[in-house]
Formats: sequence, structure tokens, C-alpha cells
Amino acid sequence: MPAETCIMGLFKDDGKAAKVILDLPAAGFSFRRAHSPIPSHRILEALKLRKGRVGWFTLTGGIIGFFAGFALAIFTSVQWNLIVSGKPIVSLIPFFIVGFEFTILFSVFGNVIGLLVCSRLPDYGGLASYDPRCSGEHFGVLAACEAGREGELMDFFQKKGGEVKVFA
Amino acid sequence: MTDLTYAQIDETVLNTLERPRPRYWVFVALMLCGVLLGAGAWAYQIFVGIGVGGQDIPVAWGTYLINFVFWVGIAHSGTLISAILHLFRAGWRNPIARAAETMTVFAVCCAGLFPFIHLGRAWQVYFMLPLPNQRLLWPNFLSPLMFDVVAISTYLTVSSLFWYTGLVPDLAVVRDRSTGLRHKIFRVLSLGWSGAHHQWLNYSRGYLFFAALATPLVISVHSVVSWDFALGVVPGWHTTIFAPYFVAGAIHSGLAMVLTLMIPLRRIFRYEAIITLNVLENVAKTMILTGLIVGLAYGTEYFIAWYSHNAVEWESFRWRAMGEYAYGLYFMILCNVLIPSLFLLKAVRRSVPWLFAISLAVNFGMWWERFVIIVGGVAHDFAPHAWGLYAPSLVEYCIMVGSFSLFFFLFLLFCKHMPSVSMTEMKETAHHAG
Amino acid sequence: MNRRTFLKLAGLGSVSFAAGCSPESPKYLYSLVQAPEDMVTGKATWYASTCRECPAGCGIIAKNREGRVVKVEGNPLHPLNRGKLCMRGQAALQAVYNPDRLKTPLLKEKDGFVPIGFDRAQALLKTKVWEAARRGADRVRLMTEVVGESQMEIFRAALKNWNSSPPVVFEPFAYEALKVANREVFGVDGLVSYRLDQADMLLAFGAEFLETWLSPVEYAWKFKAMHAARGPEKGLFFLVSPFQTLTGANADHWLACAPGTEAVVALGLVRQLLDIRRGKHLPPDLREALEKATEPYQQEAVLKLSGIPLAQYEQLVVRLTEARRPLVLGAGSGQSDANGLAANIASNLLNLLLDPELSLIDAANRHRVETAARRAEVLDLFKALFSGQSDVLILNNVNPVFNLPPENGAKAALEASNLFVVSLSDFIDETSLLADLILPGSLPLETWDDYSGWSSLVSTLQPAMGKITEAPHIGDLFLDVGFETRPVPDYKTYIAERLRKTGRIRNELEWVRTLQQGGLFPAAGQVTSASPATRPQRLPRELASPYESPPAGLAFAVAPSVRFFDGRGANKPWLCEIPDPISRVAWQSPVMIHPATAKSKGLRTADVVRVTSRWGSLEAPVYATEVVHPGLVLMAAGQGHTAYGRYAKDHGANPLGLLPSAVEPACGGTGCGLPDITLEATGRSVELAHTDGSRIQHGRAFILTTTLADLQKGPPPARAGLTMGDFPLTLPLPEGYDPKRDFYPPHDHDHYRWAMVVDLDRCIGCGACAAACYAENNLGIVGEKRIVQGREMAWLEIVRYHDERRMERVMFLPMLCQHCDNAPCESVCPVYAPHHSSEGLNNQIYNRCIGTRFCSQNCPYKVRRFNWFDWEWPEPMNLQLNPDVTVRSKGVMEKCSFCIQRIKEARTWAKNENRPIREGEVTPACVQTCPTDALVFGNLMDKDSRVRRLCDDPRAYQAMGYLNTKPAVIYLKKVLHEV
Repeated sequence: MPAETCIMGLFKDDGKAAKVILDLPAAGFSFRRAHSPIPSHRILEALKLRKGRVGWFTLTGGIIGFFAGFALAIFTSVQWNLIVSGKPIVSLIPFFIVGFEFTILFSVFGNVIGLLVCSRLPDYGGLASYDPRCSGEHFGVLAACEAGREGELMDFFQKKGGEVKVFA
Repeated sequence: MTDLTYAQIDETVLNTLERPRPRYWVFVALMLCGVLLGAGAWAYQIFVGIGVGGQDIPVAWGTYLINFVFWVGIAHSGTLISAILHLFRAGWRNPIARAAETMTVFAVCCAGLFPFIHLGRAWQVYFMLPLPNQRLLWPNFLSPLMFDVVAISTYLTVSSLFWYTGLVPDLAVVRDRSTGLRHKIFRVLSLGWSGAHHQWLNYSRGYLFFAALATPLVISVHSVVSWDFALGVVPGWHTTIFAPYFVAGAIHSGLAMVLTLMIPLRRIFRYEAIITLNVLENVAKTMILTGLIVGLAYGTEYFIAWYSHNAVEWESFRWRAMGEYAYGLYFMILCNVLIPSLFLLKAVRRSVPWLFAISLAVNFGMWWERFVIIVGGVAHDFAPHAWGLYAPSLVEYCIMVGSFSLFFFLFLLFCKHMPSVSMTEMKETAHHAG
Repeated sequence: MNRRTFLKLAGLGSVSFAAGCSPESPKYLYSLVQAPEDMVTGKATWYASTCRECPAGCGIIAKNREGRVVKVEGNPLHPLNRGKLCMRGQAALQAVYNPDRLKTPLLKEKDGFVPIGFDRAQALLKTKVWEAARRGADRVRLMTEVVGESQMEIFRAALKNWNSSPPVVFEPFAYEALKVANREVFGVDGLVSYRLDQADMLLAFGAEFLETWLSPVEYAWKFKAMHAARGPEKGLFFLVSPFQTLTGANADHWLACAPGTEAVVALGLVRQLLDIRRGKHLPPDLREALEKATEPYQQEAVLKLSGIPLAQYEQLVVRLTEARRPLVLGAGSGQSDANGLAANIASNLLNLLLDPELSLIDAANRHRVETAARRAEVLDLFKALFSGQSDVLILNNVNPVFNLPPENGAKAALEASNLFVVSLSDFIDETSLLADLILPGSLPLETWDDYSGWSSLVSTLQPAMGKITEAPHIGDLFLDVGFETRPVPDYKTYIAERLRKTGRIRNELEWVRTLQQGGLFPAAGQVTSASPATRPQRLPRELASPYESPPAGLAFAVAPSVRFFDGRGANKPWLCEIPDPISRVAWQSPVMIHPATAKSKGLRTADVVRVTSRWGSLEAPVYATEVVHPGLVLMAAGQGHTAYGRYAKDHGANPLGLLPSAVEPACGGTGCGLPDITLEATGRSVELAHTDGSRIQHGRAFILTTTLADLQKGPPPARAGLTMGDFPLTLPLPEGYDPKRDFYPPHDHDHYRWAMVVDLDRCIGCGACAAACYAENNLGIVGEKRIVQGREMAWLEIVRYHDERRMERVMFLPMLCQHCDNAPCESVCPVYAPHHSSEGLNNQIYNRCIGTRFCSQNCPYKVRRFNWFDWEWPEPMNLQLNPDVTVRSKGVMEKCSFCIQRIKEARTWAKNENRPIREGEVTPACVQTCPTDALVFGNLMDKDSRVRRLCDDPRAYQAMGYLNTKPAVIYLKKVLHEV
């Protein structure tokens, strides 16, 4: 397979960027990545991506937490087996609070893990082909082309009204 | 809402991270001294005995528990603003969300200290943790205090994670605009965030879930705190209204603290363009609501005390208004209900000095509300032969100063070394506006 | 005799061992190679002895653990106190282990006292006395406290050898007036005892027989024998006095007479009885003389002088004349002035008029304190000493410098240069300070002796522990210094010899048995008694001249203290820490005035006032209370020491400093009050170290009362509701469960459900239970400052409430952990430190407690106590600590445990004989000592147990029961005589 070059087009407006993303395939370039300072709906729509799968992690965490909470409370009280204030040893009503808090806690753990896994963070390598401006006011579209077509791609980006950055 | 360009936003916020002036370090040092004072007082208390405080029988809980509830209350508006208002898509929360969340995290830290400080045998605090041990000694999950342990630690964990997650894209911004050591540090902190589309895709999803989870949490936490009292039999504590009453109160005090912090911040960091008067006005409007809820709660308590025909309950509330601690009641009614209702006047809402003054008043009033409830309840409860009063001791005052110092110490460090306004969210606002 | 008692007596040590317990090396006790026969490590040995904290002479048994006494209890075989003991008796231990107790004699040199050896001190004393004796007659004088007959004989003998006159027996309260009254009316030259228990109506003119008067424990149980509600029956008690103390608080009717008019009322009553033709049996000329003498005391005059409302006075007369077995008691302990004298004589006459047989007067069992000399003799002695008529003065455990009013001549006499003063005291008190030689003697719990509270019986003392100091017994000391050669080997033999001579015992065996049971007593029930034989023939000459009641004006009165007696108790921290029953103030000595008086002078409670009389002045905080006459300033005796150790010194003020020392010639005694004083505000005020909150209970269900009429009507139809008023009695048992009221299912206990019944109609509020609790459970002494801060540690406190409708009526409530079935304190603890035991106890696990204090917050009875600091037991006080009870460290919560250590002990016994614990085997310290049997402890699950049967009493209720905590402490309502 011939060598590829990655070139990034930087646009001030995510509308333009989205349009570029849509037109890239027609122009025969392959889209790699889009960088943006904010989550841009236009870009995400242009990419026609399914919803993230973070939710599943969150849900799993929640379910585990709920049962873990109750389990802990019941286990400990049964260990003692002491009556306090004439209440039953295993009183589910107060234990619900433990269950609830654990649900939240573990859901959040699940959520964070999900976030890291799905968005593949931490990812220090990814910064190799990245332009700092993308965290400022530019929306970057990273595309690849076969060796020799770099010029075409640059023109393409510039026509769309963007600045260009080449990654060797 | 804001008509700033992305560049201006970045510039304004990043300017706040410039090398601080000496005056800043003076303040930091001052706060540090306060922290050391508190720490010293605590050490002394552990060495000599909890008796160096002013507590007694019947009033075995004093300023330690009051400050605990006070700080937990402060902590609440942070999550409220960043989570609940995020769900409501209230754009005006964006400029203050970051600072509010930070406030939350630090306030919870302060709050979390007090239950330890309060213990007669602080060195045995691990008895409250469900640590496996061969003697099979476990905590009692029927106790409201264990609810606290679970709720507060959950809250601290969640709010810190939430805070950091929101911080990541901004850390990337700082990384990209900095050089040298700071660049290296932020490179690590920002976890290599590049704003790539797949990151954003999951990020916004995850952030939404975060908000969705933090919302019930924040409500549950202060309900649990209120049950420390409501689950007791003590007149003035044992009432079902406490959970909503405390949550409203917490948000009330939290918003007040937000104003107290934001107004100087806005002035010093020249945030006028970002934290606009409208933002402050919106906070003020919310405080009118919370103030009214709190006022309603005060009224309801008295109504029920009278309506219940319970002699003990009624005597307790009669005494609350006419007894030795009556001034506390009047402080709280004045500062939490009457004064905030001045916000009904647009002129007041939009005058920064007024906003600041009233926010201070509410902070003061909410502290006294906790005093009236925590001390007033037991000081005059079922057993007339045991009625007694309580006054904080010097050690308690030192520890109180220490906790406030700790809070401002942390906050000062934060706002000069981390973006105190979320640039990303500001850009979003600008984006939707533009 | 219940089982526990039997076990104790079976275990009573026959002969005490000499295993020393020096504070230096208590370990030594555990390393005994051959322990004395009756000492087993970990097992208590009980020694019978006699209490010498006041002249009453109750029998005690002392609990010895590993060679040291850790607790004293009443001797159940002793006819005086029948196993009961008062607060002061309980605190006897704190004299033995007092950190300020002298370990060596002190000799006064130019620059203060220097410690010397006992041998040298004894030698010095011997040379001094014999030199003096050689110099002539009466060169050696001895002033002693009231002592037993053996010791008295030795004293007399020794003084005879020194050709000096017999000892002068000094008691601050010497009952001179009462003795005269008895001589004049009963023909008994001494102090008769009274069969209170057989009376149905009691009238007192100030005699505080529940606190200090003659024999308080004896009269406490006798009082309740007549005064406790028995079905529809209940004796009646009227008090005529310008103030109430503990005794007055127990009166059904308090007739507040103007200060100094008790005699007027008493004589008025004599008059009333004569008018209705009582006393026909009297010799006619005596009758006439009486009528003439009581002429000035017609009803109008009496009412006018005393200020008593007509209605009350008439009621008194009616009840007195209607009563079947009325008994009249005279004036208070200290009242030997004209007023007291006339009141006492009139009281005796009233008895004579009401009951010609004098069947309630017992001349056979006379109180030992009758041997005390009259105040006049005491003062004369000092005069003589001052004028240099003697060379040596020996003071045996007396403190006249503190106990006598100023201008008594004592100080001057002791300071006289040519007089060598030897004080046989274990403490440096105000008197010893002036002595040239302080020679401590061993204390009652460490020595052989005998003391007969009643003339009819013998009560022995034996060492209940090894000696802490090398101090010799006074008896042995006198055998050495009083004779050229010891007549007997030692004092113990001397006592045995004397008893054998008097025919009380025949042989060694009987001697041992006597020691074992603490004395020679008639078996219970067969106490011999005899009414006075002679009857007066002529008018007592003291009545010849009419009694002049003092002019109206602000008067001052000193009341003997239930805590300190005459002040000898003031160095015992328990007695200082346990607050005054009426004011609930500890460590301090406030002056009590009527709220109206306070108002008129613009004073409020805790304002410091200066009280000034012709003889002196003092400063003290005011305590406004309705239990004193508006014209009176009342103060308790006993505090205001300027020496006498760390606990006594500089606490409170000494009211005796205001009194005149002039004696009433007719009886040779003095009063305890004076008519005209000035009271002025100092503008300062202090924080009172009081342990109470509100003085009234705001209509709450803590103390409930019922009237005798209602009781006779029978219980009203029970209408069970959920309010404070109508919440039913819910026993802490499964049957106490009611789905309508209970959210949680019932829980059962295995075999035992420990519970206590407190009969408020029997409780007199004396605080003996509280003291016993301090002794048994190692409660910390926190001191004045901490009590002001609300940190007192009493597990059991006698709560005092005033009746909201009649503030002058005082009621008492023993408040301790209620051991609830649904205890609010338990569930709130995050670490299970408090929890419900399988036998229903509310356990508190000190090691587990982390000090959140939530349990105390949530306790509706506020009976939990917190260790704010590590409390101190200055050596050797630590030796008193009960080895069966943990000493709690700082930061943990504690509270009444129903004396769980005693439950465990009983369980061990039961287990060894493998059977269940029997009724009466477990007796908590408070229950054991209660002089009036107000407290009953037992197993609720046993259908026939006393506690269970008492729960069916219509008076049974639970404090604040409507909270549905299901307390295991059941109270029985106080029964009031309808007004």
C-alpha cells in the first residue's frame, strides 16, 4: 500500500468543517479525524455516528452498586445480630439509603470508566497529528491522501476557506 | 448571551493564569496561618479531651456539627448549578459552573473534617468504616451517622470526578497555550485530550449521565444530613419536613456563597464580560425562590408545633422565639427570608454592592439557622430537669476560623492555577448565540 | 433476709487479716505466697463493722477486695439501720483513702509543722502528760467526739491516772434542749428514741429526722413505715418550721411559721389541747400551772405571732386531736436556744397530753449522742484552758474552731503559749492547725472498737482492711500513754474483756460470732423497748417565764446538712459533688431566701450577697426558693472550711460565723439562728454549680402524683390513648407490644428482663442511692467548675421538681437510665456501642464508643454522661476503685448499667449451682442502700417477682411513657394528702 500523508484543514466555523467532511469522499480523500474546541452537532451529524456506548457502563455500575449497598448493610447487621431500638436486625427501609448511595457511586464509577474506554483516554499519542489551534477557535478536519495528491487536498481545503496544516 | 469570540474567551480566562502579584501570596499565607491555627486547636483538643469545647449535657453537639451542616449546605449549589441547570439547559449557569463546582469540592472537604473533629475519640474514627477485621466489628447501618458517612463520601467522590471531567477540555486549552513546565503538567492532566470527534461524542454523553446522576445525589445528600436530626426523637428535630427544608436551605446558602465568591472574582479577574450582570441577576432570582421555600418551612414548623397540640413541641418552639437563643431565630428569619426578598426589586438585583451584601447576610443567617436547630433542639427538650445552655469555647472558634481559612486557601490556589471559568462551555454558549 | 444478704454474712471475715495495702505497692497483694485464709484474689470478703460518720452508729458491712475496702453497705442484721446506709455512711471510704490524710504525726516547730515518727510522737505525748500530771490536778484535759463505751472507759481511766477530771465530749449538735425537755417531762436524763413507725400522725417543730437528727437512717425507714401508702392507708406528717429542708420537703403540710415562733405554736397547741379537756390524767396542780403558763398562747396570739393562716392551724389541730397514735417531735438538732427549749418541752407535753401511755416514746433504746457535753461545759473548758489551768489538751477528732461560733474562746485557748495541744486527727483541720502536735489515729474502718448507737445494744468495729498509714488506734495509744504499763495486751482484748465483764458474752466463740455479725443485737422484731416510767408532777421550771418570740425582721438560720452533717463531711468529694437535695447546687453554699424577699431587695438567684450580723459577716450567692419563710435567710452548715484538705478548703462559706456563742442558761446550749441580720447585694454574681434545669416540670409526665382520696376510690377507668396524658403502661415485654402503637415487631429476652420499680411515695430524696452509685461504679469527680459547665457524671440523680400549683411543695424523682425496650439512644450510634442485651439491659460498650454523643442527644431522659476528660483519682483514692468496674477514659459515653457487675456475680453463683438466678439475688448499689426501700429491682419475666407484681399497682406509670420507649424503670405515683 502506498504511503499516505495526513493533512488538516482548519476552519473558523463548524458549518464549513461539516460541509468539508461531507464532500471529502466525493473528492476521493479519506476522512481521518475531526478536532473541535466544542462538541459540534454539525460535525457529528455530518459523520452520522451512532450514540456513544458510555451509558451501558453507567447502567452496569448502577446495578452492581445497588445490590452491593444492600448486601453490605445486611451482611454487617447479621454479623452483629444485635437489637437496637427494638428494630429488626435486618431493616430494609434504612438500608435503602445505603443501597441508593452505592447505586449513585458505582454508576459514576461505571460512567467514568466508560468515558475513558470509549473515548480512548488517556491518549497522549493522539497529539502527534493535532493542531493546538483546535482547542482555541478552529475546527480541524484531518484527511489523508495518497502520496502525490497533497496539493489537491490542500487546494480542496483552501477552496473551502480553511487554513492547512501538513503532517509528514 | 455573550457576544465574545472564542479568542476573546480564551484570552480573558487564560489571562487569569498570569504570574500572580505579591499581594496574592500574602493572602494565601494569611489563609495558611488560619489553617495552622485550626489544626493546632484540634491537636490540643485531641490531647486534652473534647471537653475543651463548650459542649455539655444536654447540648452535646456544638459548632462542630453546625459547621458540618453549614459547609455541606454550601457544597450543594455547586452541583445544583452545574448538574441540574445543565439538565435544564439554562445557559446562564455556564460562566459560573466551574467556580461553583470547585466551591462544592472544597466545601465538602471542609464539611467532611468536622465529624472527625467532633468525635470524643477521633483516633477511633475507623470504627465507622466497614473495614474487614477478624473481630467482625462492623458499623451500624441503622444509624443516621452511617448514612452520613456513605452519603458524604459518595458526594465528595462524585463531585470531584464531575468537576475534573468538566475540566479536561479546558486543561487541554491551557496545555495548548502554555510552554515549559506548565505545558508539561497540563499535558499530563489533560489526559491527551484533543477534542477529536469520538472524544466529544462520548464526552457529551458521559457528561449528561454525570448530570443525571449528580442531581438525585445532591438532593439525597442533604436529606440524609437532615435525617441526622429528623430521625432523632428530640422536639424541633423529629419532623418530616426536614429533608426538603434542609435541601432548600442548602441551595439557598450555596447560591449566597456563589455570589460571595463570584463578585470579587469577577472584579479581580475582569470577568465582567463573561459573568455578566444577567448571570448574577439570575442567581439572585433563584435565591428569591429558595428564600421563600425556607421561609415557608419556618412557618410550617411553627404551624405544626401549634396544630399538633403537643405540649413538648409547642414549649420547644415557644422557647425558640422567646428563650435565651431567640436572637438566633430572628437572625435567621431576617437574613434568610426578609433580606433576600429585597431581590424582588430589580434595582437591588442588578446592583453589585447589594448582591454582595445580601449574599453575606444569607451566609450569616444560614449559619444561625443551623445553630437554632442543632443547639436549640436539645437545650430545651423533653426533660426540664436537664435543660441547659451552651456557648462555644475558644478552641471551637479557632477550629471554625481554621475551616474557613482552609476553604479560601484552597479556592485561592485554584483560581490562580486552573481556569476558573469553563472556556469550552463559554464557547458553546457563544456558539449557540452566534 | 434475702439470699444475697445470706451469702454476704456467710462470707463475713471472722478475724481481719493484716494484709497491708499501702498506696505504694498494691501489686504486693497479688504476689502473696500464702494469702490470709479469708482472702481470695478476685473474690470479695465482707467485714461487719459500725459506721462512725455521725453519732447515730449504724451497722455496716465493708466489702474487701484484695486487701482494700472498696464499698460499705448497711448491715442487714443491725436493728438501727436494717442494712441501709445514708450518703455520709457511703462516703466513709473517702476519709480512709483521702489524699489529704496525714501519714505521719506533725510537730509544730518555729517554721511550721514537721513530720516525725509515730514512736517519737507517742513518746513526746507520754512525757508531756505525765509531767503535767505530776504538776497537779486537772493539768491534762481531753476533749473528744462521741465515742463507744470501751474507749470512754479508757479515757476516764487514763485521765484518772493523770489525776485529771473526765473528758469533755464535744458534739456541735448536743441536743441540750431536748435533754432538758426529756428530763422535765419524761424523767429521762438523756435522749429517748421514738417509735415513729407505729405512729399514724407526725408533727415536728423542725426536727430534721431524715437528715441529721439523732439517727437519720433509723428514722427514715421508721418514717416510711408510717408514711408510705399501704393500700388506702397513709400516715400524715405536719411540719411547723420557718423553712423546709429534706425532712420538710417530705411533710404533707408545711406550716411556715415566722422565725423563732415554733415554741409559740407548740405552746399554743398545748393550750388548745387543754381547752378541749385533754390531759385529765395530769396532776391537777400541774394542769393549772400549765393553763396559767399557756395563757399567753391563745389561738389569736399564736396566729398573729407565727403568721400561720387560720385554716392551716385549724386543720393541724383537728388532725392532731383526731389521730389515733400521734407523735410530736421537737425542734431541730441545733435548736438549743430559748425557742428550741420551749418547743421541745411543749412537744413532750403534747405527747403526754395526746397519749398518757407515751407508747411511742422508747426510753430503753437511748441514743449514744446523749453522752455529749452541754455547750456551756465546752466553753467553760476553753475559759479554763485560757486562764492556764492546764498544761496539756488532747483533742480527739474534734474541730471546735470550725464548729463553734466566733468568740468561743477556743482559738484563744489553743493559741495560749503555755498549753501543749495534741490533736488526734487524721486531717489538718482548722483546729489541728493550732495544735502543737498532730497525732493521727487509725480510722474506724481500720480498727477494733465498739459503739452502741442504742444504749440497749452493742455494735462492734473491726479492721475491714490493712492499714494505709502506721497510725495507731486511739485505744491502743491511750493504753500506752495513759498507764505506766499496759493493763491489757491490746485494745481488742480490752473490748472483749469489757464485754465479758458486763456479761454480754461468755467466751471466745461468742466474741467471734459477735464480731462476725457486727455486734450483739436482739433478733429483728424482738427489739426490747420501754416507755418512760415517771410522769411530771410539777410545771417544768423552764416554762415559768413566758417565751418571748423575737421581733419581726430578717432572721438567719443554719440548717445541719444532709451532706456534710456539721462539716465533718466536707472533705469527701462525693458529698461535695452530690448536690443539695433542695437547691441542687453542689460544691457551693448558697443562702436560701424566699423569692418575694429576693424581689424586694432586687436580687436574683446567683447574685452574691453579704450577710452581716453583730458577730460577723459572710458572702454567698443567693438561691431564691419558696421553701423558706419570707422573713428568713437560710444556709446549710458544713462548708466554708479554711483548712481540712483540698476538697473542703475554700468551698462555700461557714454560716456559723454569724452566730453568737452565748449559751441559753436554762439548758446550756445555743441556737442555730439569730433574729436580726442585714442582707445587702454586692453587685457581683457567680455561676451556680447546679445540676438542674427548670424547677418545674411544665406539666410533663416525669413525676405523677395522686391523692389518697383517688387511691381509695380505686383506679379511674383506663382509657388508652397516644398522648402524654392517656398513654397506657407498656411493659418492656412482648405483651407490651400493640400493633396500633408499634411499628416494629416485639422482641423477647432469654429468661431475664431486668427492671426496676421506683416508688415515688417512698422516696425521700436523701441521695443515698446516688452516693452508693458513685462508690460502686467508679464515677468521676468533676469538681465545681465542670458542674457549672454541665459535665457532672452522676449515673443516678435525684431530680427535684416544685409543684407548679404550689411552689412550696417539693417532689423528688430518682432518674437513672430507663433501660428502654425501644431505646432511642441505641439505633443512632454508628458503631453499636449502646445496644439491647438479651436480658433487656441497655448496654454501653466503652471500648467501642467513639464519642459521637448522638445517644445522649437522643435520650429523652438525659441520663447519659460523657467523659469530657480523663478524671483523676489522686492517690490513694484510686485504691477505692471497684475492681469489677472499668474506669472510663476520655471521649466515651457512660451511664447506669443496673450494676451489671452484680448481675454477673449472681449469675456465677447460679451457674455453679446450675439453676436460674433467684429473686432478690441481684441488688444494684442504689437499691441496696435505699433507707426507705423506694427502689425494687428484679426480673420482669418472672411472673411472681416483686417488680412484676408492683407493675399491677394502680399507681404504676412510666416517665414520659407516651414516647413509647417502653422503659424498664416503672415509677409508682407519689400519694398526696388532699389539701
